[in-house]
Amino acid sequence: MKNKLLLTILTPEKPVLTDKPVDFVAIPAFGGEMGVLPGHASFVVQLKEGVLKYKDEHRREMFAVLNGFAEVHADKVLILAEAAEFAKEVDEERARQAYQKAKESLAMRGKDLDLDAAQAALRRAILRIKIAEFRKKYK
Amino acid sequence: MASLRDIRKRIKSVKSIKQITYAMKMVSAARIKRAQGAILSSRPFAVKMGGLIADLYTEMESSQFRDSPAYNLFAENPGADAVGLVLIAGDKGLCGSFNSSLLKAAAAWLTENRGKKMRVICVGRKSRDFIKRLKGLDLEITYEMVGLFPKAGYVHADILAANVLKMFSGGEVVSVTLIYNEFKSMLTQRVIREELLPLRHHILEAPDSAGRKLRDFSFEPEKHVLLEALLPRYIGANLYRVLLESQAAELAARMNAMEAASKNASDLIGGLTLKLNKMRQAMITTELNEIVSGAEALGG
Repeated sequence: MKNKLLLTILTPEKPVLTDKPVDFVAIPAFGGEMGVLPGHASFVVQLKEGVLKYKDEHRREMFAVLNGFAEVHADKVLILAEAAEFAKEVDEERARQAYQKAKESLAMRGKDLDLDAAQAALRRAILRIKIAEFRKKYK
Repeated sequence: MASLRDIRKRIKSVKSIKQITYAMKMVSAARIKRAQGAILSSRPFAVKMGGLIADLYTEMESSQFRDSPAYNLFAENPGADAVGLVLIAGDKGLCGSFNSSLLKAAAAWLTENRGKKMRVICVGRKSRDFIKRLKGLDLEITYEMVGLFPKAGYVHADILAANVLKMFSGGEVVSVTLIYNEFKSMLTQRVIREELLPLRHHILEAPDSAGRKLRDFSFEPEKHVLLEALLPRYIGANLYRVLLESQAAELAARMNAMEAASKNASDLIGGLTLKLNKMRQAMITTELNEIVSGAEALGG
C-alpha cells in the first residue's frame, strides 16, 4: 500500500478536515508554495493567504486558507488557519453584496451597537472576495 | 380585601408572565446546544495551537527573540502605571446572578486597584453600563464591544485581541486582567479572574509544555519570526474560547433563571386559583344562607 498523508485543517470555529488521507498537499507558505509528499521532513511554516491544494488519487481539491500555520510531522499535515473554505463553496457575488452592505452600515455609524457586527461582517466579506479571486486565478 | 375580579386579573397577568419566561427558557435551551457545540468544535484548534507554542517554547529565551517586539508580550511594561482589565459580561439581563456576580468580581478588582490608572475593555452591554456608571475613579474605557451575544464568532475575538494588544503594546499598562464567567455545567457558572497579559504565566504553567523536547523540525520563517506571528493568534484563540464560555454560561444561567421563574409563576397561579375558588364558594354560601333565611322569615 502506498503511503498517504493525513491532512487536518482546523480553524478556530470548527475543524474543516480531520485526518483525511491524501497523496499530495501544496501549502501556500510564506516564502512560496510548498509541496508535501509522504515522507517529508518535519517542519513548521507560516502560511499566507492563498490556495491549499491536495490530491487524493485522481481527485484534486482546493481550499482557500487565510493567515495561519502549518505543521508537518510524521506524515501528518496539520493546518491551523484563521479561516479555511472549500473553494467551490464560495459565492463571489454574495460576498460582494455582503461587502457593500457592511461598508454602508459602517458608513452610517448610527448606533454604536451595530459597529462591531458590521466590522466583523466586513472582514468576512473581504476574506470571501479574496478567496473568490484566488479561485479565479488558479482555475 | 381583593375582590374576585382583582384576583382573576392577577391570575391573568401571572399567566402571561409565565408564558414569556417559559418561551425565554425554551429559546435559551435551544441556543445553548449550539453554544456548546461551538465550544467543542473550537477545542481542537486551541489544543493544537497550544502544542505549536510548546514546540517553539525553547525559543522563547533566545536572544533573537528577546529583541523582537513580540517579546514585550512576556514582560511587564517598565514604567507603566496603569492597569488593564477586560470585562466580559452579557448583553442582556434576566439571567439570574450571571451578571451581578461578575460585576461583583469586577468591583473587587476595581477596589484593589483604587488609586491606579485603569484602562478597561468592555464586552457586553452590562459591563459597559456598569463601568460607565462609576464615578471618582481614574478610569478610561479604551474599547467596548456590545451586541455580540449570542452570536459571538472568531471575528469578534480577533477584533478584541487586536484591541487588547494595542492597549498593552501602547506601553501604558502593566498587566491585563480578564474577568469572565466560565461555563462549568448547565447548572453552575464560575467567575474566573486571570492574567491575560503579560503572557509568561500562561504558557509556562501549561501542563505539557514543561519537559517537552523540541522535535526535529525545520522552521520557515525563523522561529522567532514565527513566534511573533503566532502569539497574537494565540491570544485571539484564547479570547475566542473565553467568549464562547461566557456565551454558554449566560445561556445556561438564563435557562435556569427562567425555569425557576416559570415554576414560581405556576406556584403563584396555583395559590391564586385556590384563593379564588375559596372566595367564590364563600360568596355562594353566604348568598344561599341569605336566601334560605329570607325564605324562612317569610314562611315562618
